Amino acid sequence: MRRHWLRIFAGLLLWLPLTLHAASEAPYSRIVTLDWGLAETLIGIGVTPLAVADLTNYRRWVGEPQMPPQVHNLGLRSEPNLELLTQLKPDLILITPQFEAARPLLERIAPVKSLAIYRPDSDPLQTAEEITRELAELTGHQPQAQQLVDDFERQLARLRGKLAGQSLPPFYLVSFIDERHVRVYGEHNLFSAVLARLGQENAWQAGDNYWGYAQAGVEQLADNPDAALIYFAPLPLNTEQQLAGSKLWQQMPFVQQGRVYAFPPTWQLGGLLAAQRFMGLFEGALSDE
Amino acid sequence: MNSAALQPPSRLWLAALLLLCIGAALFSLHQQMPLAQWGALIWQPDLNNLDQLLVYYSWLPRLCMAVLCGGALGLAGVLMQQVLRNPLASPTTLGVANGAQLALALATLYAPTLLVAREWLALLGGGLATLLVFALARRRGLSPLTLILAGLVVSLLLGAVNVMLMLLQPQGLAALFIWSAGSLSQNNWDGVLFLLPRLAAALLLIGWLVRPLRLLELDDSGARSLGVSLAKLRLLGLAVAVFMTACVVSSVGVIGFIGLAAPAIARLLGARTLQQRLLWAPLLGAALLLLTDFGVQYFAGNSSVLLPTGGVTALLGAPLLLWLIPRLRLPAGRPQLQPATQLPRLQREQPLLLLMALLLLGAAVLALLFGLGPQGWSWVLDPQVLQWRISRILGAAGAGLMLGLAGSLLQRLTGNPMASPELMGISAGAAMGLMLLLFIWIGAPLWARLGMGFLGALITLLIIISFARRHAYSPDRLLLVGIAIAALFDAVKMLVLSLNDPRGQSVLSWLSGSTYFVELPTALMAIACGVALLLLCLPLARWLTLLPLGESTPRSLGVPMRAARLSIMLAAAMLTAAATLLVGPLSFVGLMAPHMARMLGFHQARGQLLASALIGALLMVVADWLGRNILFPDQLPAGLLAALVGGVYLIWGLGRRR
Repeated sequence: MRRHWLRIFAGLLLWLPLTLHAASEAPYSRIVTLDWGLAETLIGIGVTPLAVADLTNYRRWVGEPQMPPQVHNLGLRSEPNLELLTQLKPDLILITPQFEAARPLLERIAPVKSLAIYRPDSDPLQTAEEITRELAELTGHQPQAQQLVDDFERQLARLRGKLAGQSLPPFYLVSFIDERHVRVYGEHNLFSAVLARLGQENAWQAGDNYWGYAQAGVEQLADNPDAALIYFAPLPLNTEQQLAGSKLWQQMPFVQQGRVYAFPPTWQLGGLLAAQRFMGLFEGALSDE
Repeated sequence: MNSAALQPPSRLWLAALLLLCIGAALFSLHQQMPLAQWGALIWQPDLNNLDQLLVYYSWLPRLCMAVLCGGALGLAGVLMQQVLRNPLASPTTLGVANGAQLALALATLYAPTLLVAREWLALLGGGLATLLVFALARRRGLSPLTLILAGLVVSLLLGAVNVMLMLLQPQGLAALFIWSAGSLSQNNWDGVLFLLPRLAAALLLIGWLVRPLRLLELDDSGARSLGVSLAKLRLLGLAVAVFMTACVVSSVGVIGFIGLAAPAIARLLGARTLQQRLLWAPLLGAALLLLTDFGVQYFAGNSSVLLPTGGVTALLGAPLLLWLIPRLRLPAGRPQLQPATQLPRLQREQPLLLLMALLLLGAAVLALLFGLGPQGWSWVLDPQVLQWRISRILGAAGAGLMLGLAGSLLQRLTGNPMASPELMGISAGAAMGLMLLLFIWIGAPLWARLGMGFLGALITLLIIISFARRHAYSPDRLLLVGIAIAALFDAVKMLVLSLNDPRGQSVLSWLSGSTYFVELPTALMAIACGVALLLLCLPLARWLTLLPLGESTPRSLGVPMRAARLSIMLAAAMLTAAATLLVGPLSFVGLMAPHMARMLGFHQARGQLLASALIGALLMVVADWLGRNILFPDQLPAGLLAALVGGVYLIWGLGRRR
């Protein structure tokens, strides 16, 4: 038994240097990604990823686009299952700077590329577009990416034209943490960038973090009495009932004036597809009035 | 005697505190609303005016909430301290608050309909946690220190479960992050109206209990001779305290240390009798929480960071505990090692040691080759897959070995079977260093992480050593310092997690003891380090045999006490630091392995060291294997599973009567 173990061990030691092979530059087809925004963008340009991390929570928090059933679940995003990954034999692993810690491990399986939609002091919409093109380069799907970008720009231009004559209130964009706290999205957020391109204003001006959001008490949303509120599902349990019973919530200007819009799950750290989806929801919400 | 009378200087202090509170309140209100509207607010509140609305439905309920919660926790602390005759008892140190919080967390995730009766759910959780603490401490006669240690063990265990839930449901548990660190933010009067009647009921009960409770200041026989059923009285008093804690947790989350600090400060300010403390501790608690909350509102008011008040009080509370420890007069009751006669004793240790080594080897090979894959359970011989497993297994084994060894050293050193790197805060120190690094340098390379972790452990060790030197190496105080450091770390961790930053997720996985990022060279180094330190420790066996015998015996036998203690402490710290870097601060292996070794009959220091090391390694290998397979493809951290298994074992093993 011991000798067997030693043999495997010796084999491993010999094998290790071989894994540091040079990255090939061909278009990749067996792509795995840890980031939901990248996964979504891949689907958007017509590439089905081989595997995506934490698909269970993807379904709940990202929703659209749906991942085809053959996509493997890699396990938790911070610790993708390396054994499974090895057996899937990907040819490219896409990460974001947030998962950089796992890079040395992942590089032993396949070339690793880090793509950041969210960087400090950059317009996430612009980086989302850049990343769509980069993914297209990597997969050889340039026409589809061009199509996606064109569609997006066309839709943006059309909606901007439509909204030009109207004077809309500034919008708070939030997700509820519980009935007393929200995540409110600030200027570095993707949807905030969409609003800006549409010529609209984000009501939250108090700053945000690296990923474009801040945490706040619900009462802080009263700071701008003219604002409207957009919130994203899923809501934590019982939040709706608790808000309905909250005097302060009922007296909040946007509730009083009926300017509250509920959006289905849309990934706030997503890419062009999420931005597009947000735009569609935004248009739908305004035209319902 | 006037029951509420305090000496003049104390009155002065209290008056100053009250003035400070009022001043802070007026200042805070002024920030909320211009002076001109104050009259209108009182006489005819205009709910279409946003400023007044906010004051009326957010600022004012929040203020009331702070007063109520602070008062309730202060009162609960006094009750617990009186009932248990333990100046360190409090909702947080006894694990009550954590138990209540975990019950709510579990219900939120798995049985949301139960949340309609959330104070009872919290009560159930808090009550169970208290029971666990008592089960752990019972055999050692509920001495104050043992009880607090047991409370810490239970808190760590519950924390482990909590962390596991957070790992698996990161976004869904955002609310629980905030709950774990008590945010006082309000947007209606519901919370206050929820708390008020429940606290009033508790207050009535306490009023009824005051007279009999005073008798607890006598010794047991004295009280019994007056015809008081001590057991019933204690149970009732404790139940009321747990109920109040549960109500607070179920309305705002865990608020650390107010329950410990308020009674302690009341005592230091001169409140001697029970009535005095029952009056002043809640007032002080309310004032403390109120001031902290005003501070939080002022400094974090409109920034992008939401600072949970409960986390901040815990942060302030830990230094307070450190300051209090030297000033406390603890009743003697140092937990002793089991008399050797009660334990099985091995005549020859070698055969069993050899068997254990073989068992470890077998477990390692099995863990390497067998496990879940994409096609279900299978044997794997593919070296590309095994390369991941082998480094994790070796890393786990190395860490377990070092923790077992460190625990064994510390237990021998302090003569305290509850001593361990986890409970002495050394692991926590290393973890704090690493957490800091992760926030200032995303994706820091291994050497930087190693360096920072070691720095953290070293600083903690220096604090403990300097503290120990000042107090003549009293083992009790040493452990208390460890508790304070562990509590400080817990507060920092909870604050960091409640900031809800995506980086928190990676911190979380390391904190819970994952071997995921352990690579082969590191793992081999860990094994080598562990074995080298083990060999270095074996010559210390003579000291280790003699040290638990107390102060005079070893000295008379020629042991250089200072040198012996310092060298053992250094060795233990180095072992802990290295192990923590590998698998995080969260595991009971350092506590469990030496205990198991003793149960198996390893009584000689040398044999116990070897056996603890082997058992530690075995435990971690098994925990790592379980973690990799239980929820495949999700990977649970080995440290977390070891902590879960270890916690259950401790409650069973330490709590049962012989």
